Amino acid sequence: MSLDYVKFSNGFEKFMPKEYRDMVEHGPFGKKVTVSQMGSFKEVLEEHPMCAGCAMTLFIRLAMIAFPNPEDTITVGTAGCGRLAISQAAIPFVYGNYGDQNGVASGLSRGLRLRFGDKPKDVVVMAGDGGTADIGFQQVLHSWFRKERFTTIMLDNEVYGNTGGQESGMTNRGAVLKMAPLGKKFEKMDMLQMAKVAGCAYVATVVPNNPRRVESVIKKAVLIAREVGSTYIQAYTSCNIEYAIPTDKVMEDAKTVENDRYQFTEYVSEEAKQYLAERYGYKEFLPKPAAAIPNKA
Amino acid sequence: MYLVADISVEICASKSCKLCTQYCPEANTILYSEEMGKERGFKYGSAYVAVDRCKGCAQCVWVCDNMAKNNAIKMIMIDQLPKAALTDNITYGEKSTTAVLMSPVVG
Repeated sequence: MSLDYVKFSNGFEKFMPKEYRDMVEHGPFGKKVTVSQMGSFKEVLEEHPMCAGCAMTLFIRLAMIAFPNPEDTITVGTAGCGRLAISQAAIPFVYGNYGDQNGVASGLSRGLRLRFGDKPKDVVVMAGDGGTADIGFQQVLHSWFRKERFTTIMLDNEVYGNTGGQESGMTNRGAVLKMAPLGKKFEKMDMLQMAKVAGCAYVATVVPNNPRRVESVIKKAVLIAREVGSTYIQAYTSCNIEYAIPTDKVMEDAKTVENDRYQFTEYVSEEAKQYLAERYGYKEFLPKPAAAIPNKA
Repeated sequence: MYLVADISVEICASKSCKLCTQYCPEANTILYSEEMGKERGFKYGSAYVAVDRCKGCAQCVWVCDNMAKNNAIKMIMIDQLPKAALTDNITYGEKSTTAVLMSPVVG
């Protein structure tokens, strides 16, 4: 949880694996890295056992780069595909029981505030659609109603991909899956509206076929969660196994789905807009200068 | 044998869009080297693939063909690679990574 732990112990430098040495010497810690610099620095995410071509991995990779202070961040996850990659990063990861990730994150974020006071320590929950909208639904909503200051990211692949393809609350109506052969009978849950009703200060939908947008959305969400309140990002991260998308067509599918039902939307509360403008200089949220009065002369 | 991505330095170094580095689902797999293109007389650097991390999904091929329209990436069998960049041989500089392509996978 600080730059102090991302360094060599005296005398151990030459015994550390190459990946660790790269991380210490060329990692993003203590620097500002952006998506456009990808490929020229060592990323915090390491090799992981997720499927080839998984869009969720791409999203997680972009998210890890977008964290404003990766050295002061803790990720919280739960059962699901995402944790296979999130846990393979040089960022501390807490694994909650299925569905209690937002409860764990609430306690963690309060504890960190007690321990470190004003020094920002970010807590980011990344869980699948099952962990967020089905099994963890109660804890997710309650953490939002309590205005707990951390970010919740839903990795929405619209299926229980890890267990063979059962329908989840976020599956679309009519979708036929391996373990839901009759097709889903009710609509996809509207988590965005629920997040707004529950009082989240920032709510956004994003698809990883626009890396810069993913970066900007995650940065804003993490910064707002430091002071203002809960933030929620819903990301479409297709499951190419359960939905039988050829791996080289994953981005094509992301584009189709983005045009169909996952358009980019962003809701920022007035308080959050003011905070971003004043504290971090976000120009788009600065108050507009009053229009000049036309000279009548 | 299995397929891995291979980037044509000639095409990549003349365009240098860097899109594939942003769309690869694997971390630290498609890297970008300033030196690789410039040492062959091109204006820009080139992207290259750390083949030991590549899972062969071919997402970069789609991105290069359809988004960037450069057609610089092809999937080829790992034993057909003329030279292969391995993670152990890759060093990070201050601004860009340098691939040391001296020890190809094929013997």
